[in-house]
Amino acid sequence: MPCGLFFSGYEKDDAIFKTVWLKVWMVLFVLFLLTYPLYAQAVSEAVGMNTLNLFNLIFIYIVGAHGLNLLTGFTGQISLGHGAFMGVGAYTAGILANLGVPFWAALPAAGLMTAAVGMIFGIPSLRLKGLYLAIATMAAQFILIYAMRNWEGLTGGSSGLIVEPASIFGISFDNDFNFYYLSLLFAAAATMYLKNITRTRTGRAFVAVRDRYLAAEVIGVNLFKYRILSFGISSFMVGMAGGLWAFYITIISDEHFTMWLSVQYLAMVIVGGLGHVLGSIFGVVFMVVLPEVLRIPTEALSGVFPDISSIFASLRELVFGLVVILFLIFEPDGMAARWHTIRAYWKLWPFSY
Amino acid sequence: MAAVAAALCLALAPSALAGDIKVGGIFDQTGPTGAVGEDYQKGAVGATKHWNEKGGVNGAKLDLISNDYAYKIPEAVSLYKKYKDVDKVFVIQGWGTGDTNALRPLVNKDKIVFFSASYDGNLTDPKKTPFNFFIGTSYSTAIRLALIYAKENGAKKVVFIYPDHPYGKNPIPAGKDYAKVLGLEVGPDEIVGLRAIDATSQLLHMKKFDPDFAWIGGTTPSTAVIIKDAAKLGLRTKFMINCWGYDENLPKLAGKAADDRAFGMLPVAPFGADVPGMKDVVASTGDKNYTLHYVKSWVSVMVMVEGLKRAQKAGKLNGPGLKAALETIKDFDTGGLTAPITFTPTDHRPSTSMAIGGVKDGKIYIVKDVKFPREAKYIGW
Repeated sequence: MPCGLFFSGYEKDDAIFKTVWLKVWMVLFVLFLLTYPLYAQAVSEAVGMNTLNLFNLIFIYIVGAHGLNLLTGFTGQISLGHGAFMGVGAYTAGILANLGVPFWAALPAAGLMTAAVGMIFGIPSLRLKGLYLAIATMAAQFILIYAMRNWEGLTGGSSGLIVEPASIFGISFDNDFNFYYLSLLFAAAATMYLKNITRTRTGRAFVAVRDRYLAAEVIGVNLFKYRILSFGISSFMVGMAGGLWAFYITIISDEHFTMWLSVQYLAMVIVGGLGHVLGSIFGVVFMVVLPEVLRIPTEALSGVFPDISSIFASLRELVFGLVVILFLIFEPDGMAARWHTIRAYWKLWPFSY
Repeated sequence: MAAVAAALCLALAPSALAGDIKVGGIFDQTGPTGAVGEDYQKGAVGATKHWNEKGGVNGAKLDLISNDYAYKIPEAVSLYKKYKDVDKVFVIQGWGTGDTNALRPLVNKDKIVFFSASYDGNLTDPKKTPFNFFIGTSYSTAIRLALIYAKENGAKKVVFIYPDHPYGKNPIPAGKDYAKVLGLEVGPDEIVGLRAIDATSQLLHMKKFDPDFAWIGGTTPSTAVIIKDAAKLGLRTKFMINCWGYDENLPKLAGKAADDRAFGMLPVAPFGADVPGMKDVVASTGDKNYTLHYVKSWVSVMVMVEGLKRAQKAGKLNGPGLKAALETIKDFDTGGLTAPITFTPTDHRPSTSMAIGGVKDGKIYIVKDVKFPREAKYIGW
């Protein structure tokens, strides 16, 4: 038995699923995802959280986090505007749906609209880097939120915009069960897209821009083109996430899409692992599930000590922050890197050398 | 920590018996409206305990599941889905204008009765929001009553000050419309955020228009900032404050500046007021002092319990049953904690009366009781 992977051809070395075992696990995982809603209710009652709702949120956020990971993890451009970009997608989808545009057209339109907006706000990336770009994209956040809140004729202002649930071929996605499959489809598509784009010429160019932009320019990568392209694709994905969100929550207001959401997106890809496709998935699962898990002890303790329940409520935020910091200290490469370490350990177990 | 959590869950699980009525609680204790939300949450918990000690709903105990959502709407939606699917509740005690409006379509679809701490006039039309209830005089009625009071006191010019937030913004159209009816001149709006620590620039701008009265649609901390800055700048403007910006803490935060300058719209009696219903409220706190927001949630639970009792008598202890039962409540006496409460199938405004409060020597007092005619044209806004 070989104690390691030995490939005899480039195709095998480049394959996404390199071993038979990986393929078996993937099939099992996909089967699990496809059948999960059937026993979701039992699981939800056992753990005391609505797991189907959590899965739907995870799938929606995965689409957006992949977008930000492409921009920040693979192209090295920071964005503090992705929360608002998600809002642009949500409002575009919502407004179009209210005009009678069917779901299958409204959602891509939301992506395209957000891509356009993202590319406009991405223009400063040609001249600005790092902190300066962070501030420039933060401006996008504030401008867009202001527009959402005050352009009342279009967005409904602070009362929000009510959106009818999505429906395709007469199937309405107005419950968590149906929506699960819809969002799973988009999350899977986004994952495959990100995995594959990083293996193409475009993806290599993104990585070249990230690693050393001067060298990239010298070898003929058009910096402006690829930075804007990255902003465009990234915003497209986060806009799709926004559109899905609108159809899921069915009422949107600017309060969903604050600076906090932008920071949360960044936290997701950083905790998960910048520049790893798996990273955005791990990060999203972590950021969505952890607050819910922390809710269980606070809920229980609030019943026992009602007088200090507000302290427990704040404790939840505190523990959340602490866990994020600890992650950054002890696993700066994110959860994806830790996952690779664990896998490498078991692959060679018990004869690792 | 996981072990502690698991142990606690096990320890607490048997306390929720089969006959219990579960009530979902969505409160803000740590978010932007947490300053007033904290007492509201405590009031709901205290009232639930009180009614359980008095025998619950014809023997069935209430089980209030209290959670903080920090005024994050997605979190409120997640909590709602948990309550609906996991805890299987049919009644929720909720909080803010933003999330109550966000949950409107879901509440209607799932037929879950939703008591909000948002007294947004948009929620009073059963044609649009059949499952939304609240117990205070609506913000729109409050703003109209405030303008009438201002006019009675010789006002000619008014200004609206509010945070850029659904709670602050939603009653403003009703106010502007009614100012026109009364023939008051309306100056440019001023935006002061819920977490503002300075309002000088807004007030300097307002000074140019020099209004006789100004409406404040914020919560207590930001209101105190406005009042203090107005005193510092020597404005002659008097302030009419919406019900979440005026409480026992305002004189403490604003000091002398609040005397004869701050007037609050009071849907409930202040904490510890001399009314028959207050005895139980004070007894439930264990000698602690709370603000009138404690009373608000107390009455909200009281009305919910009354509805549940009626629904149980009718044998329909579910969402639509509770809704129908609540709509039979007519001139319900809350022991003077609020004006008598009435819900009908066509009108969910609980009452149209309230008190106007003032501040003197660091204490709040009732200036006068006011009443707006219950006109059908004002249902729903």
